[in-house]
Amino acid sequence: MNRVIIGLMIVLCVVVGAGVLGILDSRATDVFLEATRPDFQKIPIGVFGFQNGGGPEWLGGRIEEVLKADLQRSLVFSLVDLPGIGVKAREVSTTDKAIFKQAAENGVSVLVWGKSGQKNGAKDSELLMDGFVYDSGSDEVVGGKRYVGSTSVVRLMAHRFADELVFRYTGEPGIARTKIVYVAEHGNARELFVMDYDGYEPKQITADGFLNLMPRWSPDRRFIVFTAYRSRNTQDIDILELATGKRWTLVSMPGLNITPTLSPDGNFLAFASSQDGNSEIYKLDTRTKASQRLTVNQGGDLSPSWSPTGREIAFTSDRGGAPQIFIMSADGSNVRRLTYEGDYNAAPAWSPRGNWIAYVCRTAQRLYKVCIVSPDGQKRVQVTTGPGIDDSPSWSPDGRHLTFSSTVDGKSHIYMVDTDGKNLERITFGGTHNSSPSWSPAL
Amino acid sequence: MRIRVATMGLTMVVGMLLGMQTGCSKKSIQSGGDAQSSERGMAKSGAPAQSQAQLPPPSGLDAPSATFPDLSLSSKPEDPETGGLRGFDSVSGGKAPSEERLGGGGTMLAKVEPSESTARQIEEIRREQAKEQAASAEAGLRDVFFGYDSWTITEEGRQSLTQDAQWIKANAGALVKIEGHCDERGTLAYNLVLGEKRAKAVRNYLVELGVGANRLSVVSYGKERPFCNERSESCYQQNRRGHVVVRSK
Repeated sequence: MNRVIIGLMIVLCVVVGAGVLGILDSRATDVFLEATRPDFQKIPIGVFGFQNGGGPEWLGGRIEEVLKADLQRSLVFSLVDLPGIGVKAREVSTTDKAIFKQAAENGVSVLVWGKSGQKNGAKDSELLMDGFVYDSGSDEVVGGKRYVGSTSVVRLMAHRFADELVFRYTGEPGIARTKIVYVAEHGNARELFVMDYDGYEPKQITADGFLNLMPRWSPDRRFIVFTAYRSRNTQDIDILELATGKRWTLVSMPGLNITPTLSPDGNFLAFASSQDGNSEIYKLDTRTKASQRLTVNQGGDLSPSWSPTGREIAFTSDRGGAPQIFIMSADGSNVRRLTYEGDYNAAPAWSPRGNWIAYVCRTAQRLYKVCIVSPDGQKRVQVTTGPGIDDSPSWSPDGRHLTFSSTVDGKSHIYMVDTDGKNLERITFGGTHNSSPSWSPAL
Repeated sequence: MRIRVATMGLTMVVGMLLGMQTGCSKKSIQSGGDAQSSERGMAKSGAPAQSQAQLPPPSGLDAPSATFPDLSLSSKPEDPETGGLRGFDSVSGGKAPSEERLGGGGTMLAKVEPSESTARQIEEIRREQAKEQAASAEAGLRDVFFGYDSWTITEEGRQSLTQDAQWIKANAGALVKIEGHCDERGTLAYNLVLGEKRAKAVRNYLVELGVGANRLSVVSYGKERPFCNERSESCYQQNRRGHVVVRSK
């Protein structure tokens, strides 16, 4: 096992003053690494360039830029400014002991470098990226990767390399290859699009010409469930297979058919419908097609969000007059109110770690911002501040970031932010309206 | 710390097992598409039995598609393009890492090509909307406007609807649709519920005035089809609306 991980564990254990030895042989995946906890030490990583060897001029720089952004967003690593600490090299090889020593002495735990260019003897479009990793804890070159592909996968090469690094040092899947599905205005219509988690490579996945809303991923990333206004006057809940574009209608009841979301095991679809008079939450077994009504009251119930175990559902209800967040068991029993602060709390999203529920909170100044609350209601934090109407928070699969829409820059665009409110980043720039983002599960 | 780590691991495993078991037992309880029997099944397993039992039989619950895709996680195929990571290769002795060929882009996406039928559909939507707009203008139908967060019909709204009701009653063949709209404040999802409350408030008042309920339909657009796109109270007021429309079909 890698010494950096061990060192990290020791630090964590000493801080809480508990036993150390028992955890050394456990896998890193068992350790709950939360980037926002104060005792979490990010791993200092230095990235040298990716020397160009015959490819397009932009190639090495692009890989370096994408990789650095991924590592920064992982919140597992902290990027070290190598020239800033006097570690300079035009070219690094796997036998550069002097450079490794210098980096290690300056507190760099991991060094990354590589090459890029045209693949030897390949046809014009074939590009290549080599990446190498040195670990100062073990004082060895831990290995390398070689990726080959067309121009269109250059960003993916860097994303994949970043995910390999995150996995090696945490045992968790990274988020660099995750996607975000969202709604964008297209002509006079609102259609669904899928983009990389950093906002690049947007691709249109519906072309109905009217309104498609509130997309959510299936747990295996193969499908998107969403609300479609197929005839302008009625709503359906549809499911779309991304690889084929094939589409099925799952729910088509009178009235609203909104806020669909699949359970973590993919076997149940929770959604809201007003077919019994007012909006209520239902659960559809996708294997037997049996439906079950989960909420019974005069108010509007909507926006179900499954806990990661699938045993509970958070949802919005205005049964007390104004919308608030509630939690119930997945069979509709044991309903309790979660939010009490403010008179408008809606759109809950249960974090994949289970420890937070994000939602839209209306502040005393009547601003719509993103808040998080622990499922026992004991801790509550307002994540975003300032002007703009924030909506539709959705968690990254590592539970460290939220994506959401906001009108802070005028038109509605999609943003991401760390759970502590830091590193706010706008990720859509084109178009007249982008909303309703949903972050994919990790690969 | 050690205990906490162990407990968390155990909790996760137990959670997963429980989750799986829940899925299995549901399967045996629920029978086909009969929602009533599934509710009785739920009552057995400790759900709020009293209120559940009194529910009217849900209408239209039968799945509209003859088949659903298999959504269970176990059906996920091994996909070389999207698959897991392979770890770093040893490069000792100057050895090159083995080659990983990348394609797709992580998640395979079918390309949406605006087909002829899509273009026809979009054109038909545009035509129908224009037709509805013209018919509603000719009928002189009035819209109803609402307060912030509110679905209560104001005195002014009642006057508009009294006029609307006269026209609808005088034109026995006409079908009327009430669209519920909201301003951009608040969440997309809750505004769809609010929009429906507004549309239903309008419908209910028209029924009170003697219009047959079978001639009225409602649809909520939430904040998705605003009449006005500026960020001002006068614009917001325009968007908090029950839009009364003569249906084209």
